[in-house]
Amino acid sequence: MSKTDIPLNWFLYFAAASFCIGLFGVLVRRNAIAVLMAIEIMLNAANINFIAFWRYGPYSVNEGPLTGVMMAIFVITIAAAEVAVGIGLILLCYRRWKAADVDRYDSMAG
Amino acid sequence: MQQEIDPLKVLSGDMLYIAPEIALTVLGLLVLIYDFAVVRKRPSAERQSRLAWLTLFGVVATFAIQLVMMLPQDWGGFDTANLYFPLFSGTIASDGTSSWMNLTVIGLLGLIVIMSMSWSFTEHWGEYFALLCWAGVGMMFLIASEELLTLFLTLETMTLCLYMVTAFEKTRRRSAEAGLKYFVYGSVSSALFLFGLSLIYGLTGTTRLDAIRFALVSQGGSTGLSGNVAGAMAVLLVLVGFGFKIAAVPFHQWAPDAYEGAPAPVTAWVATGSKIASFVALLKVLGGALGPWAMKGTDVTSHGWIGLVAVISAVTMTYGNFAALAQKNLKRMLAYSSIAHAGYMLVGVLAASVSANQASSTAPVLFYLVVYSLTTVGAFSVAAWLVRDKGTDQIEDLNGLGRRSPLLAVCIVLLMLSLIGMPPLAGFFGKLYMFMESLNAGDKGRLPLTWLVFLGLFNSVVSAFYYVRVLKAMYLREPSGTPLAKAGPTIAIPIVAATVAAVAFGLYPAPLLDAMRHASLTRPGPNTRVGTQADPNWTPAHAAAEQIRKRAEAEANGIRMVPMGGGSAPKAKASPKGETTPPKAPRESGQPKAKQDRESK
Repeated sequence: MSKTDIPLNWFLYFAAASFCIGLFGVLVRRNAIAVLMAIEIMLNAANINFIAFWRYGPYSVNEGPLTGVMMAIFVITIAAAEVAVGIGLILLCYRRWKAADVDRYDSMAG
Repeated sequence: MQQEIDPLKVLSGDMLYIAPEIALTVLGLLVLIYDFAVVRKRPSAERQSRLAWLTLFGVVATFAIQLVMMLPQDWGGFDTANLYFPLFSGTIASDGTSSWMNLTVIGLLGLIVIMSMSWSFTEHWGEYFALLCWAGVGMMFLIASEELLTLFLTLETMTLCLYMVTAFEKTRRRSAEAGLKYFVYGSVSSALFLFGLSLIYGLTGTTRLDAIRFALVSQGGSTGLSGNVAGAMAVLLVLVGFGFKIAAVPFHQWAPDAYEGAPAPVTAWVATGSKIASFVALLKVLGGALGPWAMKGTDVTSHGWIGLVAVISAVTMTYGNFAALAQKNLKRMLAYSSIAHAGYMLVGVLAASVSANQASSTAPVLFYLVVYSLTTVGAFSVAAWLVRDKGTDQIEDLNGLGRRSPLLAVCIVLLMLSLIGMPPLAGFFGKLYMFMESLNAGDKGRLPLTWLVFLGLFNSVVSAFYYVRVLKAMYLREPSGTPLAKAGPTIAIPIVAATVAAVAFGLYPAPLLDAMRHASLTRPGPNTRVGTQADPNWTPAHAAAEQIRKRAEAEANGIRMVPMGGGSAPKAKASPKGETTPPKAPRESGQPKAKQDRESK
């Protein structure tokens, strides 16, 4: 690690901040698509953590295991699959309610 | 003895051990192809029954493959019920726990496929059965996973399939709503879970469960979590993730809606299969990898996740039971009852982590999981019956069933009594073993856990009130409206099978408990030091190299390829049942030091 590198902490602050932004978005936004986007932000925050921990981890970047990178690549794949399923479900609900507002979907309660 | 090692050959050897998963994956594809190529133009009812029969046939075949693998080696199996096989460089493992739980999951899938034949709720039968199978594949790999990436990947495989099948009931609006709610809650919880995993990776530098445990142990042994903010955050996030999957309060909100809205067979699959898989993963992650953070030394009241899980467990069982009292919808009531059962099972998870009887301490919770899921599948097929004939699933629709169909009514009575935990049914022994195990804790742990057990017993009494409402409807009320038609085999088989299991494992619990003890013994107990890598320079690559070397040696010696290496595997098989050390594995080098470590504590 050279002295000019950005310290690990900064990455972690950034990841934590974007994670909180995502979580806030999930809790506050009512549009189903916006909720989906907020979830993506949360997943990407975790990815930043993985990459940062890998880059600053005990192994040499050029020789050691690529654990963090692998995690990030697979998470990106999973996120894509999740979006596909999510959009499908949102479309299904949109056709029935004519709205993409998650608060409107409340036929069951108790 | 140096020789060329063909990695492809090693991999294909590992493939044999995941044969049931492969079979189920291929089955899903076959079902899709059959649907599109052969029965596409047929009427929906015929497609449904043909595809269901194909799926059922495949599931039975998968069950047989799993059974054959569990046979002792001189009978032609791999004896996976008694041996520990790390596969694919140790990212997944085949052991007693995974083989018995896989067997249960496949069996449940069979019952659910049978239940799916009972009425027509969608047009897309090919996709429906394929997704059911693939969700099963996710569950089986989740049960077997030994590493965080595999764990997350399989968790998502399972839940993504379940989100979709939840929304499959085309005739009803609430099914789509249930699917979306399940999806939103589920994916937010996965994101939280993943962030927790990233923190664990950062704190330990590895994603392998045993290496995480070793890293934590070498950072200071059983320290609990006091003063460790990052660790506490990681545990909290991981608990949120698992809490959603097992529907523990306060992360349970999706469960009643998803259970009520989904078609009954899907609800049964969500309530049983995904719960089994998540609980096994929870045991591995919390009890195994994060075990050193459980508590300080043996003090249950110290800072650590034990206290947190105890609170969640207490709140979950109390809330679940009291909320169930107010329900009029059968599926919703069963949803709250399954929340309550998750609370009981968390007591079992605690028990597994604090018990002095460490090597087999996960046995009671595994026993409970098997019994709970079998009885729950039976209960949900009652809901399927109601939806098929009445279009609703209110408890009052069961009115007068006792006279109309006396035999099945008796079966339902037995199922409900087993869910309450009445002796001599299986549900009673499940609770008994779990609560007894948690009282096995050392002196410092006994008192707080006694309170938890007391709360559990109190809750069982509360639960009697709402389960008995079902019985009251069947026997004391006059039928109203159109009566229920004859159940037919598709409804009756799951109910009868569940009842037989509840009665048989109740009257004669020893074989199942024995099997679960054995399953528990094949892996390093959650709180033991056995199984952690004592070599600080050890990396996953070393383990893989070791495994490849041993296998090559075995082949050079003319022995049939067994990942255990050399002739040691047959010996391990012959070892007496009660032996606590896990069978031969690349990990073995760590054991002598590990044992000393434990004795000195």
